[in-house]
Amino acid sequence: MAAPLLLVVLVAVTVRAALYRSSLAAFISERVEVASPLNAWKRVVEGLALLDLGVSPYSGAIFHETPLIIYLFHFLIEYAELVFMITDVLTAVALYLAIQDFNKVVFKKQKFLIELDKYAPDVAELIRTPMEMYYIPLKVALFYLLNPYTVMSCVAKSTCAINNTVIAFFILATIKGSSFLSAVFLALATYQSLYPLTLFAPALLYLLQRQFIPIKLKSKSFWLYTMQYAALYLCSLVVIICLSFFLLNSWDFIPSVYGFILSVPDLTPNIGLFWYFFAEMFEHFSLFFVCVFQINVFFYTIPLAIKLKEHPVFFMFVQIAIISIFKSYPTVGDIALYMAFLPVWSHLYRFLRNVFILSCVLIVCSLLFPVLWHLWIYAGSANSNFYYAITLTFNIGQILLISDYFYAFLRREYYLTHGLHLTRQDGTEAMLVLK
Amino acid sequence: VCTSRFWFNYRHVANTLSVYRSVKRLGIPDSHIVLMLADDMACNPRNPKPATVFSHKNMELNVYGDDVEVDYRSYEVTVENFLRVLTGRIPPSTPRSKRLLSDDRSNILIYMTGHGGNGFLKFQDSEEITNVELADAFEQMWQKRRYNELLFIIDTCQGASMYERFYSPNIMALASSQVGEDSLSHQPDLGIGVHLMDRYTFYVLEFLEEIHPASQTNMNDLFQVCPKSLCVSTPGHRTDLFQRDPQNVLITDFFGSVRKVEITTETISLDRDLAGFESKIPKDELATETLKYAEQLPVAQIIHQKPKQKDWHPPGGFILGLWALIIMVFFKTYGIKHMKHIF
Repeated sequence: MAAPLLLVVLVAVTVRAALYRSSLAAFISERVEVASPLNAWKRVVEGLALLDLGVSPYSGAIFHETPLIIYLFHFLIEYAELVFMITDVLTAVALYLAIQDFNKVVFKKQKFLIELDKYAPDVAELIRTPMEMYYIPLKVALFYLLNPYTVMSCVAKSTCAINNTVIAFFILATIKGSSFLSAVFLALATYQSLYPLTLFAPALLYLLQRQFIPIKLKSKSFWLYTMQYAALYLCSLVVIICLSFFLLNSWDFIPSVYGFILSVPDLTPNIGLFWYFFAEMFEHFSLFFVCVFQINVFFYTIPLAIKLKEHPVFFMFVQIAIISIFKSYPTVGDIALYMAFLPVWSHLYRFLRNVFILSCVLIVCSLLFPVLWHLWIYAGSANSNFYYAITLTFNIGQILLISDYFYAFLRREYYLTHGLHLTRQDGTEAMLVLK
Repeated sequence: VCTSRFWFNYRHVANTLSVYRSVKRLGIPDSHIVLMLADDMACNPRNPKPATVFSHKNMELNVYGDDVEVDYRSYEVTVENFLRVLTGRIPPSTPRSKRLLSDDRSNILIYMTGHGGNGFLKFQDSEEITNVELADAFEQMWQKRRYNELLFIIDTCQGASMYERFYSPNIMALASSQVGEDSLSHQPDLGIGVHLMDRYTFYVLEFLEEIHPASQTNMNDLFQVCPKSLCVSTPGHRTDLFQRDPQNVLITDFFGSVRKVEITTETISLDRDLAGFESKIPKDELATETLKYAEQLPVAQIIHQKPKQKDWHPPGGFILGLWALIIMVFFKTYGIKHMKHIF
C-alpha cells in the first residue's frame, strides 16, 4: 500500500504548492473560517517579531500560541510553507498507519465474536471482510489530504494543522497500544489546545481493552491501570508546562493561552457558536454563560463512555467531532480531522438516514460562508444575523452528521446481536428508534 | 474667544466683549479682529435688558454697544474652527472676515475665556482643546510665518496650564490663575441675576481703560494687574520664549494699532545706489533669522539608521531540557537493547 499512499501524498503536496504560489493564498489566509485568533499565522509572525524586539509576545492580546510553537517557528520561520506541508503529510501517514492497525483489531474481534456465537444467524451481510477493509486506510489518508478544508487550512498556514498532527500521533500511539507514548502525545495535545483532555477517556478504554482488563468498578487491575495512565499523562503535562516556563522565564503563557481559550474574550466571528452569544450578552451574565458553554464540550464524555465502552475508537471519533463543534474558536481544520475518519465507518452507509440532507447542508453552508461575509462586511446589506444563521446551520449539520453515525453504529450493533429481521410481539416488522 | 454657552456663563461673553471693545478703541479695525462668541447674551430671552451686555454692576458700562461684529457665533465656535483660524487651513469658501490674515510682521493678541482645567479648555460643554494642541497650533503658525510676536491671555480656572507647553519663539502668555487654583468671578448683579465679569478680566479692563494710543505703558505693568489681594487667584505669566525684554514691550504693540508717522517736508529720492542696501540687513530680524526652519526638525535623528535589534534566542536550558526529554521518550519506546545493535 505504500505506492498508492505515496501517489496521494504527491498529489496533495502539488495541490498545496500550487495554491501557495497563486494569489489565492493571501485571500485564504484572511478568511475567518480558516484562521481564528488562536491559530492564525499572522499572529505567530507578530509574536516572533515582538520577541525579536525584546518584548514578551504574550503582552497584549495578539499571540495565543504555546511556547513550544515559538521554539519551533523561531528556527523554521523561513520554511513555513514546507513545515505545514510536512505536518499535513505526517498527519495523513499517522492516520493511515493507525487505521491499518485498527482494521486488524476490528477483524480479530469480529472473528472472536463469531467463534463465540455472539452473533445472530441472519447477519451474514453485516459481517465485514478483509476485502472491503483493504482500501480503508488509503481512503482515510486521501480524505484528510485532499479535503478542501485541509487544503485551505494548510494554505492559510494555520497552526491548527500542528494540533491535528499531534492528535493523529496520539491516535496512532493509542492504537498501537503504547500507553506511555499515548500519554505523552495526549499531554502535548492538551497543552496545545485545552480540549483534547476529553480524549483521555476513549484512549483509556481502548488501552484497557487491549490489555484485556475488564471494566468493572471493583476490579483492582482496572484502577491500577487507570492510575498508571493518569499518572503518566499528568506527569508529562506538568513536565511540558514547566519546560515552557523556561523558554521565556515567565508564566505569562498560561493566562494568554488557556485563559484565552476558556474565557473567550475575542469575539471575532468564526464558524463556532460562541461569538454571537457573547457579543450580545450583558456583562454580568457572561461568566455564567462562559461556564455553560465550556461545560458543554466536556459534558458528553461520561454518557458516551458509558454507552460506547465496547467501541472506544468510535467514541474517539465522536469526541473529536464534539470538540471541533463546541470548542471556543473552531476552524475548518478541526473539522477536516474528524471527517478523515468517515471512511472507517463506511460500512454503516446502509443505516445512515440523512445522507442527502447532510451533504447538502454542509456543502451549501460552506459555500455561503464567504458570500454572507462579503454581504455583511463589505456590501453592508446584511448583518451579523445572516452570518450567524449560516454558522448555526452548519453546526446543526455537523451535529446531525454525528448523531446519524451514532445511530447507524448502534443500530448495526443491535442487529448483529439480535438479527436483521426484527419482529415485534404481534409479528409485524419492528423499527429501531434511538431514544 | 468665548467658549461657553448658556445664560449663567454671561460673564465669559462679557469678558470677551470688554477686551474686544478696548482693542477696537485703541485702533484695531474689525477686519483685523476675529471675535468668537459661543452664545448670544444680548438677545438671550433671559436677558432683562435686551441688546446689552454689561461689564460692571449698576450697569455702568455696556460693552455690547452698536458696533459689534461677531465672526464666529454660537455653534460655529468649535475647537476645529478655532485651530483652522489660527493655522490658516481654512476651506476656500470662507469669507475674509472669518480668516486670520496675518503675516510675519503681525503681532497677534489671543484672548480666551471659558471653563478650563489642568491642561485643557472646554468648548461649548462638549469638547476640549488641550495645551499640547494649542502649542502645536502656535508652532504651525510660527513655521508658516503667521506672526511676528504673539500675546496669549487666558482667563479660566487653572489657566497657567494652558501656556506650559508652548515651545515656539516670540510668545508671551498671561493667565488668570495657576494650576490648582480657580479663577473667580466678580460681583453678581442683582438686576440681571448673574455674575457679570471675571475678576481678572475686570481688573484688566480697568487697566486698559487708562491706556490711550500714545501711552508708553509696558508689559510689566500688565503683569502687575490683579494681585492676589484683589483676585483670589495668582495670575501668572510666561516670557521665556519672548525675544524682547517685557520692559520694552508697549501695551499698544498688541492691544492697539499704533503706527509711527513722521511728517517730513523733504523729498526723498528713491534712485539711490541699491547696492548699498544689501549690506544693511536690519539687526532686529534676529527673531526670524537665528532660528532657521531646517534646524527645528531633528534631521540627524531621522536620517540616522537605527541599530539593528538583537535577535532573541531560546535559552540554552530550555533546548537542553526539551531534547533530553525527547531522547528519553525515544529510548523508552524503542528500548535500550536495540541501541546495542548500533553501537
